[in-house]
Amino acid sequence: MLKEKKILLVDDEIQLRDMVVSILQQEGYTRIRTAGNVREALELAENWRPHLCILDVMLPDGDGFSLFTQLRKITDIPVLYLTARGEEEDKFRGFGLGADDYVVKPFLPRELLFRIGAILRRTYKEETGRVKLAACEVDFERAEILRGEEHLPLTAKEYEILTALYRNAGRIVTIDGLCEAAWGENPYGYENSLMAHIRRIREKIEENPSKPVSLLTVKGLGYKLVTGEKR
Amino acid sequence: MKKTLRLIRRFLLLMICIVPLLFILNIALLAKATWGERSANGGWTAAREIGELLVREENGEYTLAEEGRRILETYEAWGILVEDGSGDVVWHSDNLPEEIPLHYSVAEISWHTRGYIADYPTTTGARGADLVILGHPKTAYWKLLWNTFDYDVIAGAPKTILAFLALNGALVFVIYMVLAGRIMGSVKPVVRGMEAVPEEEVYVREKGLLSEVAAAVNRVNEKLRAQERALRKKENARAGWISGVSHDIRTPLSMVMGYAAELETDESLPTEARKKAGVIRRQSVKMKNLVGDLNLASKLEYQMQPLKLENLNLTAVLRQAVVDFMNLDPEEKYPVSFQCPEDRAVSLQGDKMLLQRAIYNVLSNSQMHNPEGCHIDVCLQEGEGMAHIFLTDDGVGVDDERLKEIANTPHYMMGSGSGTQLRHGLGLLIVRQIAQAHGGSIRIDHGPSGGFLVEFTLSTMNGRAVR
Repeated sequence: MLKEKKILLVDDEIQLRDMVVSILQQEGYTRIRTAGNVREALELAENWRPHLCILDVMLPDGDGFSLFTQLRKITDIPVLYLTARGEEEDKFRGFGLGADDYVVKPFLPRELLFRIGAILRRTYKEETGRVKLAACEVDFERAEILRGEEHLPLTAKEYEILTALYRNAGRIVTIDGLCEAAWGENPYGYENSLMAHIRRIREKIEENPSKPVSLLTVKGLGYKLVTGEKR
Repeated sequence: MKKTLRLIRRFLLLMICIVPLLFILNIALLAKATWGERSANGGWTAAREIGELLVREENGEYTLAEEGRRILETYEAWGILVEDGSGDVVWHSDNLPEEIPLHYSVAEISWHTRGYIADYPTTTGARGADLVILGHPKTAYWKLLWNTFDYDVIAGAPKTILAFLALNGALVFVIYMVLAGRIMGSVKPVVRGMEAVPEEEVYVREKGLLSEVAAAVNRVNEKLRAQERALRKKENARAGWISGVSHDIRTPLSMVMGYAAELETDESLPTEARKKAGVIRRQSVKMKNLVGDLNLASKLEYQMQPLKLENLNLTAVLRQAVVDFMNLDPEEKYPVSFQCPEDRAVSLQGDKMLLQRAIYNVLSNSQMHNPEGCHIDVCLQEGEGMAHIFLTDDGVGVDDERLKEIANTPHYMMGSGSGTQLRHGLGLLIVRQIAQAHGGSIRIDHGPSGGFLVEFTLSTMNGRAVR
């Protein structure tokens, strides 16, 4: 399960570490280790082999970016930056540094947990395999829908769209975001195709496709996937 | 540069006017100098008249009539009459100087007629076949002895004079141009320096005619640049200070927010305590927004945050901002309805993050002022190269006084001093800064149903397809 993934938290502020640990524990994460500087972080990364690393950008013996580079030599686990500087948003735009996501301090626990959950789902989905929805289960590994005994295969586009929705499960994803996930860089003009695909996905996953409960429309804006998992 | 060319032209014109003026002046001076000059003609006429006024007596003697005497007196001249053939002087006036010979050969007569007799300049006249010679005072006339000229020179005189004038004119012009060129050569860099000095760093070589002016320009430049640097330093320090403070606030605020949210959801606590934790959480979110806004506002103000312009689909930008807002409102206390042109993309050049921030700020402004929740309408319209985004809520709205205040606050640091601007409007002031940075504007007004209305106006690049 995702909650059993090993999370390494690197931040020089002890109190902030305690708080994040407390947030994670309350959410149900059990395997958390912390480090206060680059040296400790690298040691833990090597010996303890975490599944996710949460990095503060400012550290007493170096910065998060150089730590990231060093970390990459040991492992390719996903990295989430915690930053206290708005300016660094610039550096993160497009995640040119190879980080998976970033959260700007101060943050609400909900926000941090969502990002962590999304990264873990994305990176380790093959292990989680199936996701429960109201009327069915989605097997992302095999790209099919399980309804009782029935196995309904997903087309490539349907799979991309559903994956994008699942990564942001419980949140609205914009029409443009979904088009981009399915058709790439310049998604304008695919809105009608998107609607057609959504309709077909609903036929596969919903009890009653005209009254959806799992794949909800937010008029004019986008769609939201409601899963059985607690958010 | 145009101005200096005009200057040259004007001086040239002036010179063209001056040269004929000089010419006229000289003629006038010449006339003045020769006025009242002893008439050369007069001497010759006098000689002729003397000839007529000489009377031959019975005895062969000559006498000069009274009138003739007066003429001689007038000219202070002496006179002789040389007889034809013999060459003897047959009459002479009483005042004849001793050195004057009384007999002349034909050769002598020819020579004396042309020139002088014993340095007395002569004029001649005829009396029948005899010759009257008048001798004038030695300083009365200057005579040209060799009075023959090459015919061609005389015939070509008009041309020659014209050529002289033309050559003179050309020489004056050339000298003028060389001088003007040299002056301009030293004026030009100075003028250029003066023109550029308000905007940029300049250095004018302190050489030549205008070295003092050049030095002054350089001093002005130094002073201006020093002031600019000082101002820039101050602005940087202020923006840096704000950025530093906001950075230092972020970490402690994280803990306030984090623990408050944790307590709020801790079911082992009494409801009352959890409610209080909720208040702390909400207020700390406000502080978070304020810190971010303050930082961004100071950066926008001092242009430390350059716009990252790219071609954007405004619909997508708007959707993302609205969805970001809705995703942070899981209780759906602030439902948003969204409308946009469906048949086309609205594209423009803009900074995606900043535009999303602006929209988000307006939405969270509605949220902040309506803690009980409200409905928000977001509507995008496009036409005639302009995009209009209307964000309307049906909440408590604003009073007119407050509207005026928001509209008239030019700068977040120039509030009326009471601090109310910061309490209410920093988020909206940033919205305006962002709109202006994109060459657009915002209008803040009452909503149609009594709530709050913000309208963005931005210019689009529609016509050029995004695809």
